Amino acid sequence: MSPGAAKRPEPPPKWPYTAVGVALVGIVLLAGWSLDDARWGRLPLFPGEVLQYASQMLDGVLTWPGAHPDGQSDPDLTYGDWWLQALRLMGESVALAWIGTCIGALFSFPLAFLAASTTAPWFLRLPVRTFFNAIRAVPEILLAVIVMLPLFGLNPMAGAMAIGIHSIGSLGKLTLENIESIDPRPVEAVTAAGATRWQRIRTAVIPQLLPETVAFWLYRFEVNIRASAILGVVSAGGIGALLNRVLRGREWEWGGIMLAVIIIVTILVDQLSAAVRHRILHGAEATAVWA
Amino acid sequence: MTQAILERPKPVRPPKPPPSPLLVGGVLGAVVVTMVAGWAIDFSLAPVVEQWPALTMILQEVAHPEWEEITDPSSRLWTALRETAAIAVIATFVGSLIALGVALLSSKVSAPPAIYRVTKSGMSVIRSLPDMVYALVFVAVVTGPLPGILALTAFNVGIVAKLTAESIDATDPGPLEALDAAGATRWQRARAGIIPQILPGYASYVLYVFELNIRASVVLGAVGAGGVGQLIMLYFNRADYPRLAAVVIVIFVVVVAIDLLSQGLRRRLR
Repeated sequence: MSPGAAKRPEPPPKWPYTAVGVALVGIVLLAGWSLDDARWGRLPLFPGEVLQYASQMLDGVLTWPGAHPDGQSDPDLTYGDWWLQALRLMGESVALAWIGTCIGALFSFPLAFLAASTTAPWFLRLPVRTFFNAIRAVPEILLAVIVMLPLFGLNPMAGAMAIGIHSIGSLGKLTLENIESIDPRPVEAVTAAGATRWQRIRTAVIPQLLPETVAFWLYRFEVNIRASAILGVVSAGGIGALLNRVLRGREWEWGGIMLAVIIIVTILVDQLSAAVRHRILHGAEATAVWA
Repeated sequence: MTQAILERPKPVRPPKPPPSPLLVGGVLGAVVVTMVAGWAIDFSLAPVVEQWPALTMILQEVAHPEWEEITDPSSRLWTALRETAAIAVIATFVGSLIALGVALLSSKVSAPPAIYRVTKSGMSVIRSLPDMVYALVFVAVVTGPLPGILALTAFNVGIVAKLTAESIDATDPGPLEALDAAGATRWQRARAGIIPQILPGYASYVLYVFELNIRASVVLGAVGAGGVGQLIMLYFNRADYPRLAAVVIVIFVVVVAIDLLSQGLRRRLR
């Protein structure tokens, strides 16, 4: 055997990838075939119609706010009124998302200590964890429809409570994961110094835990603003109810203004919250470099 | 010996630092925002006490679900559930495929600066709208499952493209430099250098949005985009709580099962 004929390693087989790909395509085709009233023939209509609606929405956004829209029963109504109304309702959406996040944070924080393996015995851990998973599995809209609307009626408190209860699950799960992954050495140090259980949590666990948890609360607030739009459809407060009505009535100019307000406010709140989260997690020096 | 220890001066503890003004400001700001928000939505827990009888009446009905809805395979519930599952599967598949392309176009590692800036800002506009809004617009074109599929697809493209683009930003530059040195084209570079590196991450994002889609397609029906959501609104408007309870039980089981499945798969991918 000549030394020059070094053997190249065999390339890994490709068939597993092909098999997975074929299986996936098969599942998707089966799913498509099972939808008998999907009207796939209408698919080519979408680009044209959606573009047309979008251009009408853009018209609404770009019209001078002092102008009067035609086809409305109220002659005094201007585009500016639509902008103000959308802003007020979006403010309500943001407010209810904030209150919901506060409720979630308030309850999830102590509960997470009862669910973490480092701070609680198993007979407490099991029920609290099950509780977190259970409320995470129920969509907010169901919670709103079954429990909150009968209690609070058609107003933003119902939405805030639905978002709040749902947030307890996701915030609780994350907080307990944070508690379990902290550095154990400070905890050992205060235990060696004779700290009680409460002193241990207070001086060694919470300080380590707080930055990431608060940052996640803010992230959850961003998610909840989007969720509040959905709750509006069942009239649980915020901008969703009117948006539902306006878009179903095909008032595209009006709808365009509402969407513009939603996009602008959401992006602004996201940017603000991302900046605060960055400051919390990485400190002042990193912020200076980043800004 | 003992004397010496006793005479040693007491160590001076460093003074406790004052709380940073930023922290104080942040906490005060949060308190003010909470008060304003509470005022804006008329925060009050009084209805919990006042309306309790109304809730208990509903909960009593909910506690006796209509089991026939679950046991009969030809019921409305199972038809709607099959529809929801199909919507979620198709939207996940199509959305993730588009997202892979968009992600390659929106990272500075794989796309020229002019293109990635445009794609990136376009994607942040798409993501700022909730899935519900897409469904509302698409429902105006045609009703049934099709607008639901399209709305979820748009929503998935936003999420998967963002996460995947972040993975692409973080790829190891070594293989890419080797490919550049060997004269690879942009496509060959993506195919041989980037995709193999991001594949595990990408697969776990796809599973994650599949989980989200199951939940979201439950909700989308509420605006008439097909699936279980439509059924929820139907029973809610009729105040048919026993049947609503049956729907809730099934959704709960399905969501938990899919979460567990996808979490197991994702753990194996890492």
